[in-house]
Amino acid sequence: METLIKARNIGKYYQMGEVTVKALQGASFEIYRGEFVVILGPSGSGKSTLLNTIGGMDTVSDGELYYLNTALHNADSHKLTNYRRNNVGFVFQFYNLIPSLTAYENISLSAEIASNPYSVAEMLEKVGLSDRATHFPAQLSGGEQQRIALARAVVKNPDILLCDEPTGALDFDTSIQVLRLLKDFCENSGKTVILITHNNAIAKIAERTFYLKDGKLVNIETHDNPLPPEKVTW
Amino acid sequence: MLWRKMLRDLKDNRGSYIACIIVMVIGLMVFTTFSMVMDNLNLSKDTFYFNQNFADGFADIQAMPYSKIEDLRNIEGIREIQGRLIKDVRVLIPGREDNIYLRLVSTDPKIDKPVNGVALERGISLDEEKMNIWIDNNFFAANGLELNDEIQIIAEGKKRSLSIVGVGSSPEFVYAMRTTSDLFPKPEEFGIAYMPYKVMEGLFQERATVNNIVFTLKADGQYKNIEDLLKPELESYGLLTMYPRKDQASNIILSTELEQLKNMGTSLPLLFLSVASVILYIMLKRMIENQRGQIGVMKALGYTNREIIAHYMSYALVIGLAGGLLGGVLGVALARPFTNMYQMYFNMPDLSSGFSPAAIIEGVLLGLVFALFAGYRGCRKVLTLQPAEAMRPNAPIAGKAVLLEKIEFFWNMLTVQGKMAVRNMFRHKGRSAFIIVGIMFAFALLGSCWSMWELSEQMLFDQYEKVEVYDVKISLNRPVDQDSVERELKSFPGVKRLESKAEIPATLKYKWNKKDVVILGLPADSELHRISDDDGNRLFTTPYGIMLSNRLAQLLGAEVGSSIIFESMMAKDPDFRYELEVTAIVPQYMGVNAYMDLEYLQSVLNQGEIVTTLMLSMDQEKVTDLRTEYHNSVGISGIEDRNKMLMQLKELMATYSATIYIMLLIGIIVGFAIIYNSSVITVSERSRELASMMVLGMTSKEVLSVVTFEQWFLSIFGMLAGIPLTKLLLVALAQSLSNDVYSMPSSFGSMTLIVGFVITVASIWIAQRAAASKIKALHIADVLKAGE
Repeated sequence: METLIKARNIGKYYQMGEVTVKALQGASFEIYRGEFVVILGPSGSGKSTLLNTIGGMDTVSDGELYYLNTALHNADSHKLTNYRRNNVGFVFQFYNLIPSLTAYENISLSAEIASNPYSVAEMLEKVGLSDRATHFPAQLSGGEQQRIALARAVVKNPDILLCDEPTGALDFDTSIQVLRLLKDFCENSGKTVILITHNNAIAKIAERTFYLKDGKLVNIETHDNPLPPEKVTW
Repeated sequence: MLWRKMLRDLKDNRGSYIACIIVMVIGLMVFTTFSMVMDNLNLSKDTFYFNQNFADGFADIQAMPYSKIEDLRNIEGIREIQGRLIKDVRVLIPGREDNIYLRLVSTDPKIDKPVNGVALERGISLDEEKMNIWIDNNFFAANGLELNDEIQIIAEGKKRSLSIVGVGSSPEFVYAMRTTSDLFPKPEEFGIAYMPYKVMEGLFQERATVNNIVFTLKADGQYKNIEDLLKPELESYGLLTMYPRKDQASNIILSTELEQLKNMGTSLPLLFLSVASVILYIMLKRMIENQRGQIGVMKALGYTNREIIAHYMSYALVIGLAGGLLGGVLGVALARPFTNMYQMYFNMPDLSSGFSPAAIIEGVLLGLVFALFAGYRGCRKVLTLQPAEAMRPNAPIAGKAVLLEKIEFFWNMLTVQGKMAVRNMFRHKGRSAFIIVGIMFAFALLGSCWSMWELSEQMLFDQYEKVEVYDVKISLNRPVDQDSVERELKSFPGVKRLESKAEIPATLKYKWNKKDVVILGLPADSELHRISDDDGNRLFTTPYGIMLSNRLAQLLGAEVGSSIIFESMMAKDPDFRYELEVTAIVPQYMGVNAYMDLEYLQSVLNQGEIVTTLMLSMDQEKVTDLRTEYHNSVGISGIEDRNKMLMQLKELMATYSATIYIMLLIGIIVGFAIIYNSSVITVSERSRELASMMVLGMTSKEVLSVVTFEQWFLSIFGMLAGIPLTKLLLVALAQSLSNDVYSMPSSFGSMTLIVGFVITVASIWIAQRAAASKIKALHIADVLKAGE
């Protein structure tokens, strides 16, 4: 399998007054093309920090990080912007849709800057919200908003989809719908999905689970037979 | 997509953006109007001066042979020189009781392109053998005259009839006033008529003489050099005054007006555009803070910094474009009535206002420069925002105790809302400073507007209600013996008091400064021309020395005790030169004069007891009799009725009031825009906090009080700071508006402060009512539910 992301001893440190907070330290791993990875850990374990560095939203303080052959650890902001623009899609816990744009326009916002995007209408259909195209975020339910956010991330046709607690604000049924969409995206298009959660149950749908604790990657678990999202309960 | 986002964001906050655009529109409108009017005036002035060969130098003499002009033509540096006769005559129009004058100016129809030539609007050439005239277009129109009409004048005591054969104007009389005390042209009472020299010399028995000389310079000629060569030549013919074009009465007024237009056209737009820029800057900065999550998303999606900055700059672009276009178009539209208004005062043939795309483009560009600069300053924070950091809510502003908390007495007096407001002011120092500065400007604008109004009234009415308190003033054609003229008038029925006055043209010199002025010789105990000091205490002329008006003292650089040199052509000795001590400096708003004791002045001049003016206090009903009796006297050049003068002044002031109301309205708009925007920003930024207070059970009124308390508190400081700024503005205005006709005072009274205060408070209150509706519209549940 082709290695998409390679990390060697990466760390992220923040200076808080005289104290140095080590949000992430000494993490080494590889993530492959077409893989579904879940990063699991309690609050403050460094999940989001890891996701942000992988997504080029933040730089590492230490170690080496590569996307294919591109070094991300010493990339300037211009290079990181290009990386996010062409290779990464993000889904956030609180959707972060632009309130003044409709569902369709929110997805277009992302499609407009991509080099090889999917059709916006097609994406809307895929997430089952074609009839909501002209609705503003305030007129959509949480689940619908998250599906739009997912469509917005996927429409760019990125190599990697990064999801930060995408079901954190959703009820169970809606969460399963969203997980199904993510799984489909991964399986049908051969793209990599990295999802962070503190919900152990969700880890069962992944091919591999990274366990984080106190900023350290403590374990990587491989599942030979991941469960379909519909089989998961919590 | 980002354009749509921008348009919707603008729509959601339209109140604030509209307020910002209005302030910008006002600034650009003033800019466009003033620069267009200035261009129109400058263009027609330059064209008119050039086409009509406007003189570079002027000289008034008592009488010089016409043939002498030929000799003067040889003076090095002079291109053309011409001699003329100029005489003021009274016009008799049936049914009109007021004094109507024509200034007759001789012209030589044989000269092809004379100096100060007349631009003939219509009519035919002057006939050297006939009593025919060209007349100035304003007088012609104001008195409903027609070509070939005959008008009656009194020349040398005889009634004469002149035939109007042409209508035109001359660069010499663009702003035609009979005397400098007239203040503004009155075309129905005073006009210019041009008549052939030959006819005119016969009319006045001035055989082959001239009393006025005009000349133009060669390209390399210097006025100063010519003056030095020409003066000795003219002195033997009784040179009265000699001055360059820049000191010519009509040109002074026109140039001063252009200078004022330039000053106002620069400073006012700058003020408004600065206010608009600050509003825009704060609004964009606030939006960037509010939308940091959205910026984070855009960055996460891969939008570059440049794209995001461009997006936020597009808000400024739209504001700048809208403000610029609207301001430019309104400015162009306003330029026409303004130019027409100037046409009423400045008589130039080509003065008109066209459509000027260049002016609109200039306005738009200026609007864009200010808006984009403010926009960039407001949104450059986007550049430093890291995407991961942007996704997190802003860290709350450090909540430490503020300085005022140490004043326990004050702090304990405050309600919880008050305490919140005070802490908030200190935490948002930039915004607090904006409110203070904005209110300071609004207050100063209102205060100085009002003060200008009061001062203009004071200037005009003080002169005719406190200083010159005669009922009738009779001006004489030439100096006459005091005793004989007083004897003649004293016995006239209804005359209660009679005082003589000598108005003597003079040159005053102090160190390297010199100024041509009229010295007023007043009786020591004058009751009809009362001079006072700054505090209103009466001052009396002393039997020695000279008193100077404050502007004259300033121009000469003289003070009490200075020894100044007094020269006058009216003295017996042709080389007269006298040293005088300055005994007092007196406030004088109208004209620039010096004052001496009449007897002392007469003795210094050594021409006997001469006077030039008579001031009478008399029964009002007898004024008409006096006028009838002396109307046609040869020796009298004018009879002025003070009551009529006052009435005219009141009419003039009434026309100014519209301008004052507009300025007051602008002040209100600025105050409103500032407070409204600061309220809206506060409400949107602190919606969670305000909604939480409503959840606790506070009414929207109580919640509003947190915002309003803050604004009132800051506004008080703004208004206090506005007092010295008002003074500063008035000093600057006084300096730029003062000239030889008026000396603008810069003091202001309590009424200015009251007006400034009341109107500022009113505009703040109105803005707060508008902002209150935003608080009422807060949907508590939605606000609190919204994610961080």
